[in-house]
Amino acid sequence: MHFTGTQQIKAPVAKVWQFVLDPNKVAECAPGFKTMDILGPDHFKPTLAVGIGAVKATFTLDVQLEDVREPEHAAMRGRGAAAGSAVDMVAAMDLKPLSDTETQMDWTADVNVSGTLASVGARLMEGTAHRLTARFFDCFRQKLEESNDVAGAGATTSAPATGATGSSEAS
Amino acid sequence: MTTTEPTTGTTIGGMGHRVKRKEDPRFLRGKGNYVDDIKLPGMLYMDIVRSPYAHATITRIDATKALAIPGVLAVVTGKDLDAAGLAWMPTLMSDKQMVLPVDRVVYQAQEVAAVIATERYIAADAITQVEVDYEPLPPVVDPFKALEADAPLVRPDRDEKSNHIWHWEAGDAAKTDELFRQADVVVKQDLYIPRIHVASIETCGCVASFDKIAGKLTVYMTTQAPHAIRTVFSLVTGIPEHKIRIISPDIGGGFGGKVPVYPGYVIACVASLQTGHPVKWIEDRSENLQADSFARDYHISAELAASNDGTMQALRVKTLADHGAFDAAANPSKFPAGLFSVITGSYGLEAAHVAVDGVYTNKPSGGVAYRCSFRVTEAVHTIERMVDTLAQQLKMDPADVRMKNFIPPEAFPYKSATGWEYDSGNYPGALRKAMEKIGYADLRKEQAEKRARGKLMGIGISTFTEIVGAGPSHTFDILGIKMFDSCEIRVHPTGSVIARIGVQSQGQGHETTFAQIVAEELGLPVENITVEHGDTDTAPYGLGTYASRSTPTAGAATAVAARKIRDKARKIAAHLLEANPDDLEWQDYRFQVKGSPGRSVGMKEIAFAAYTNFPSDVEAGLEAVDYYDPPNLTFPFGAYICVVDIDRGTGQVKIRRFVAVDDCGNIINPMIVDGQIHGGLTMGMAPALLEAITYDENGNMQQGTFMEYLLPTAMETPAWETDKTVTPSPHHPFGAKGVGESATVGAPPAIANAVVDALSHLGVTHVDIPFTPWKIYQILEEHGAAE
Repeated sequence: MHFTGTQQIKAPVAKVWQFVLDPNKVAECAPGFKTMDILGPDHFKPTLAVGIGAVKATFTLDVQLEDVREPEHAAMRGRGAAAGSAVDMVAAMDLKPLSDTETQMDWTADVNVSGTLASVGARLMEGTAHRLTARFFDCFRQKLEESNDVAGAGATTSAPATGATGSSEAS
Repeated sequence: MTTTEPTTGTTIGGMGHRVKRKEDPRFLRGKGNYVDDIKLPGMLYMDIVRSPYAHATITRIDATKALAIPGVLAVVTGKDLDAAGLAWMPTLMSDKQMVLPVDRVVYQAQEVAAVIATERYIAADAITQVEVDYEPLPPVVDPFKALEADAPLVRPDRDEKSNHIWHWEAGDAAKTDELFRQADVVVKQDLYIPRIHVASIETCGCVASFDKIAGKLTVYMTTQAPHAIRTVFSLVTGIPEHKIRIISPDIGGGFGGKVPVYPGYVIACVASLQTGHPVKWIEDRSENLQADSFARDYHISAELAASNDGTMQALRVKTLADHGAFDAAANPSKFPAGLFSVITGSYGLEAAHVAVDGVYTNKPSGGVAYRCSFRVTEAVHTIERMVDTLAQQLKMDPADVRMKNFIPPEAFPYKSATGWEYDSGNYPGALRKAMEKIGYADLRKEQAEKRARGKLMGIGISTFTEIVGAGPSHTFDILGIKMFDSCEIRVHPTGSVIARIGVQSQGQGHETTFAQIVAEELGLPVENITVEHGDTDTAPYGLGTYASRSTPTAGAATAVAARKIRDKARKIAAHLLEANPDDLEWQDYRFQVKGSPGRSVGMKEIAFAAYTNFPSDVEAGLEAVDYYDPPNLTFPFGAYICVVDIDRGTGQVKIRRFVAVDDCGNIINPMIVDGQIHGGLTMGMAPALLEAITYDENGNMQQGTFMEYLLPTAMETPAWETDKTVTPSPHHPFGAKGVGESATVGAPPAIANAVVDALSHLGVTHVDIPFTPWKIYQILEEHGAAE
């Protein structure tokens, strides 16, 4: 499954870059995030609880950052296993300053879900995977803009992100 | 005998009586004994770790965390089995199949490791803690792509480095091609018969129990063929065959899906040997749907040559058979494409040529004969669609084309263009009966009138010929074991009987019908006759129940064994009547002295004498055994007519009427035959309207539950209208042919022909099954007919 999207984030590119390279901050945006082991600056193992339809699975992902070019491009490759299911993904993002206070993030993601989760949730798979991926990237924008508000920087209040609920158990 | 009117009284309850099923009291009271009902002291439970990937190498299996869970006793992996030489097992088709993989998986949900624990829940929890690292490989899901040069290789273990398994053909290619060159009309159609699953109510499972003291392995198992399984187990494990006992208890539906040996059975046996405890393994529903062997999955390209007046001359068929990752079908050895060459059907063709290529893909094994005698469903669907395609092309009524081309009743025994000798048939008789019953001429008028008003109504005919009862030893074997079947009968001193048979019921009612055969032959009451089967320590050897073979083979053996008993009984009767055996005749179910109806003796008295007062030149006792080698297959047939209405707003196909006229020769129990036909029609409707298994490009099976894999319920099932004609088999001891599969085989093309007929005026010439509302709605939209 191939997904793409674009976010316009009301934050300077350096701040966005700092955010997306911080594994703890990124992990909080991951669907159903539970815990994370940080094995190195570019190697993480988050545990995520993901559900498709009635089927829930807890994945431990092995995530490796790749092709990191500050401040414009980063990619990650992840693979995870759960009981009878597996997920393989490659995601990349490009940052482009729109102004001193605004950044555009273009992202792509290729996600393959295998096994029981794909078999029993086939009809819901594409929709769910797209929603979770889009929510992941939209969460960056939300968090970055929230921190603007907290810091008092950035005068505009952002509208709530469409479809994002902030639930920790993605489904 | 061309009638099935009973000649015994209701006390005896022989052939033709609607005897209530002896098995029903225990089933209706919940007292059946299925494999999951079996509980042995000290029994452990097994659950299976399965592959999420359709194709991957296994780089690591770490069971440490699973073994740390209290109650987990062992984790069995492919490496453990490999050390014992059991990582692979032979299939029934001369291929081999992984029991557990050592380093790679070849389909999604493939068995990877097994956990043995003291409780079922612990085993289920522990499989999530077995860590397996995979390196995914590109899978090949499409059989056409599998044959391309750069396709991923599914089976690198084989010498041939290709996904092509075998090529098989039948018929006369040269003569067929010549007829095609000269033909007035050639119609061509590609058909896909989708992969489907038998989805029996009871999933597969076993309880394996190895007695270390006796050195004996007992396996309670959901199998349709216990004796063959025992032999295979002995050959594979080296355990002497008398130290293996397979018990097939009550079976909750088989339909061909319980013929193969699944890895779970073998792993459970190994686990029992390893732990010294009985080990139970029962699949859950999703495992059953995802990993057990599948049926159909034939990509067919068919051409029919005919003259302008609709006379069919020749048929040419090429097929790609998707067999999944292992060729583990359960066909007779010489028939890798089953009996697909019966594809000339009920029609007198001058020549035919059929070619099939088997292909490996990254899917579970295919080729289960799902309520069908080895690829006959695919064959019947093809020829019945092709007849309609020809009729549409020539603007003739499909009933007229059939009547014109039927093999005439006087032509039997008939040698088909692909070499089968049809035993008997009356095809025009069956079709005429079906047409009268449904009011065919009026329906055509109604259709024309409705069409004028924009309503979509279709009438579809299927006049199929089945080929069942495999089979004669000169042609049919499985792993070299000839496909005879058997019966052993003992008559007790008081005239009650035990009959043990080599076939195995999965709901067919053998305990009733086989007792009726004995009752008919011996004149003893059916209620005093016990039928046993499924225990290899007590039942005579047989190849099992599938392919509608029980009545043609073991049913025949039962009649012949009973007749052997009657031969001996004649001598005892002569002794009792103080007459010469040659002066006795079997009349009204008694031996009587010719010309002296007053001097007679029945089997009950003879049985008592066999133990108390037998002549000096006759052994005591009254028993016989017969291993019946059928001289030919039997060819049941039928004429089905289906009327559908299609909703232009939703694409929903609704079966309004369905008339099924079946001819299975002489009938043992009309009520059981009715039940077989009602069930079979419903199972034939299912793939036509609802069921199909599909895979995504990564090889994920997409129907892992009954939410996605739709089974028919009472809501979807119309009121079937059944009738019969009776054309006995001339070579079967009591003229029966077998009926278990006729309806499953014959129904889909009747529905398909009705759906295409409903859409034909729009220019539609073919639609592949299943006719889901979405598919039909898209077609309606393409042709501007959607509302």
